[in-house]
Amino acid sequence: MNYLDAKSAPAREDRLKTNIAFGGTCAQIRGCIRAGCFSGKGCLNLADRRFAETQGCQFTLSLAILNTLRNAVVIMHAPIGCGACSIGNVGVNKTFKQLRDPSAEGVVWLSTNLDEVDVINGGERKLREAVLYADREFRPETIIVANGCVPALIGDDIDSILADLETQTAAKIVPIHCEGFKTKVMATAYDAVYHGILKKLTKKPERQQYLAESDLDKIREQYRISRNVNVLNVSSMSRQDELELQRLLNAIGLNVTFIPCYAEPEDFEYSLESSLNVSICGTHDDYFVEHIRENYGVPFLIDTIPIGRKNTDRWILKIAGHFGLEKEAQRLIEVENRLLDESLKPFRKVLAGKRAFLAGGEVRIVATAEILQDLGMEIVGFKAHHFDRFIEPMFDSLDNVDDVVIDVATNQPFEQSNLLNRLKPDVLITHTGGNNIYAKHGLPILPLFGPSYNYMGYSGVFEVARRLNRVMRNCQFNKKLSRYTRLPFRKEWYEKDPFAYIKNQDAV
Amino acid sequence: MSKFVDRPRYACALGGALATLRAIPRVIPIIHASTGCGHNLHNAINPGAGYLGGGYCGGLALPSSNVAERDVVFGGETRLKEQIASTLEIMDGDLYMVLTGCMVEMIGDDLDAVASEFEDSEKPVIAVHTPSFRGNSFTGYELVLESLIRRFIPKQPQKEPGTVNVLGIVPAQDVFWKGNLREIKRLLERLGLRVNTFFGEGETLDDIRNSGKASLNIVVSDVYGIEAAREFEDIHGIPYIVTGFPIGADAAGEFLLSVADALGIDGSQAEAVIESEKQVYYEYLERLADIYNDLDLQRYAVVVGDSNYAPAISRFLSDDLGWLPELVVITDFLDESQKNTVAGRFDNFESGVRPNVRFDTDASSVRRYMAEIWPRNRNERYYDSMSPAVVVGSVYERDLAERFGFPLLTVSFPVTNRVVLNRAYAGTSGALCLAEDLFGILAAGR
Repeated sequence: MNYLDAKSAPAREDRLKTNIAFGGTCAQIRGCIRAGCFSGKGCLNLADRRFAETQGCQFTLSLAILNTLRNAVVIMHAPIGCGACSIGNVGVNKTFKQLRDPSAEGVVWLSTNLDEVDVINGGERKLREAVLYADREFRPETIIVANGCVPALIGDDIDSILADLETQTAAKIVPIHCEGFKTKVMATAYDAVYHGILKKLTKKPERQQYLAESDLDKIREQYRISRNVNVLNVSSMSRQDELELQRLLNAIGLNVTFIPCYAEPEDFEYSLESSLNVSICGTHDDYFVEHIRENYGVPFLIDTIPIGRKNTDRWILKIAGHFGLEKEAQRLIEVENRLLDESLKPFRKVLAGKRAFLAGGEVRIVATAEILQDLGMEIVGFKAHHFDRFIEPMFDSLDNVDDVVIDVATNQPFEQSNLLNRLKPDVLITHTGGNNIYAKHGLPILPLFGPSYNYMGYSGVFEVARRLNRVMRNCQFNKKLSRYTRLPFRKEWYEKDPFAYIKNQDAV
Repeated sequence: MSKFVDRPRYACALGGALATLRAIPRVIPIIHASTGCGHNLHNAINPGAGYLGGGYCGGLALPSSNVAERDVVFGGETRLKEQIASTLEIMDGDLYMVLTGCMVEMIGDDLDAVASEFEDSEKPVIAVHTPSFRGNSFTGYELVLESLIRRFIPKQPQKEPGTVNVLGIVPAQDVFWKGNLREIKRLLERLGLRVNTFFGEGETLDDIRNSGKASLNIVVSDVYGIEAAREFEDIHGIPYIVTGFPIGADAAGEFLLSVADALGIDGSQAEAVIESEKQVYYEYLERLADIYNDLDLQRYAVVVGDSNYAPAISRFLSDDLGWLPELVVITDFLDESQKNTVAGRFDNFESGVRPNVRFDTDASSVRRYMAEIWPRNRNERYYDSMSPAVVVGSVYERDLAERFGFPLLTVSFPVTNRVVLNRAYAGTSGALCLAEDLFGILAAGR
């Protein structure tokens, strides 16, 4: 894979043949996976909807990573509204950054505020002013310029402007081309962000060369690198998640660094002094790790996400396998499983037989279902943001899900509301957003992820069980809401097939 | 010529329009824009407005054409037509408003032509051009009102004396909008008026439909809602007055007198209302007589906010609480004449205090102005610092407040560190809430 000569990363519709509209059962979708519908053939690639609700774009999702970077200022080259969602990160991201560096600054961003005049004349002047202001006022290590739809449509030559500006700024300038209209697969954002990082921030670190270096020092350094892995974190995970994964890999003798979220720009240089890049989620990282392997020879692992017992076992074993540490890993897994299993017993008593619906990222929902099955619960439905080949290894850890319904939809609460109404689960485990709708179904809701809760590793399984038990003990709040507030969908909608508005490629 | 903005304190025209529609029951927005617009704006407005939430059909339930690159090639009109038709099938509303984002405006979709194809639908479909590059949230509020006034509210030649509309409080952008409207309405009702606020408690689309009957529009803002009031005057023949945003008993009193004057209500009736309002107001404020004077709770203040809040809060701090608002930063996009009008609000504080007023949209500027207006400590042994002080602003002022060690009360958008339901800061009972919150943070460690 090498897209780095291109201005921007390709849309995932094209690169991965990703699908965003599908309704069927798990057995059907697994058949599609085997037949190559989500990869080579891409036969569901152009499926879409006649009715749609709003969803994230690659600009907003790019900010989920960019707003975590330390020592960076983000410039939104766009009209005033683009990236306004950063308002929601002002407080929390400062706190999360400070968990990594107590003196970290909060989130700072500038909007170039393109107006009607700029739409005609171009936004170059404002972009220049914003970059120079950011450099002077905040003295960041890096200035990140994320552009929205408008500069892409008026044809601002952003890369040239920024290359010229970089000669005047102390900060490095990283362009991120993430205009929303380019793709409906919002996960293209990860590629867009990595594209900028790969082009501007990853290079071999400039280490001081010693005139005389003892063999021991050299060997020590080589050993350090040979035992270091980069775990590619995601902004939806917590510091507790990181600490748990670090604990597990430390236990088999590996050292861990986390990128890209909450990293400092120079961390991307040091990340090249590593023996393995470990993705925890294929949806996020394939673009980055493939390019790093190609350009710097660091191998990578993309397999499963360490959520749920079997997935965590598998994740550790795969990593251990790379280093020949299988025995150590087996011992660890055995101890961890024994302790965890014991801790789950009281929750199994309460939760066994309860029916759950899961909605969110393709990898995350299927992995989380493993925890639920571990607790004896029944999976009655899935909704995935999108589908591509990275889902393939995920189903291995689940039993008896062939007939379970699966909806592929980025957000689209109308379909989920219809499904909830049909399936009547006892609990909903869902991605953030849309709970103004789901709460009115009057059922307990557990967030699918949370940057301040632990979900990953063995401790994550216990934490999910514990919280699930808690939310299911009392859902009066949602129950009362369902009694006294109304859903916005007509009753006729609930009589229709939940997938009635999906149009296949023939309809496009 | 506009410039970049360091951490904008508003969303765009589309965001303002969505927030405004969010405040009207059973209106269904249909966004015609790129995929991310609705999602992004919800994730700005929800936390920024004290966790407003998506409500009936906001948030991720917002119908949206989600136009992508391949639609651009063919134009977005076909997709929009499909989306309007399917929205009418699925979403249960009484009015459907199509709002546009930047991209579809730039590729030249004929929004009005598509919307006009739905003229015969059972419920009205109205299109509004709201691209982000047209302006910020306040612009979006004006654009939605303009459309309603021109195309939804029927003309009523017969006006009802004693019926008034209230304009100038922008939903979500004024985080306490609903509470504030309730208080403004309460005050006006005490004059015996029938009051329509468009977005108030218990008000519906029918109240908006009937707003053409009003005999006066009251704009409680020097800047927002004035465009809408002019439209009302042009199209429906309803005159308007501009009163400014009242916080505190004196401000509320002046507000009521100017309304009474405009409607020819006997001044003594208004005076009686004001008198009884003041009685209740001071009955509560009297409680503070002890702690205020026991502990010397006079404070310097830095006020950062929009054109409604900044002058109103500064005056309340100065003239009702006897505090010293030294620096006021007003964060809106304003033209010169608007700046002059708003600056005029700081001219005649009863206390004689004259705050330093700055107009600036950048979050990082506030700290610079602090250095400008107050001499620095140049290692003097005796230094008269601007302390103790309180910052009244948005959540963006948290870093500033922490740096100086001042407590912060967040009042102006964005307010992500509080949850706001029916709280109000306007009028007399709102001013009591404000006093509660201000002294509350001073007492918090006790």
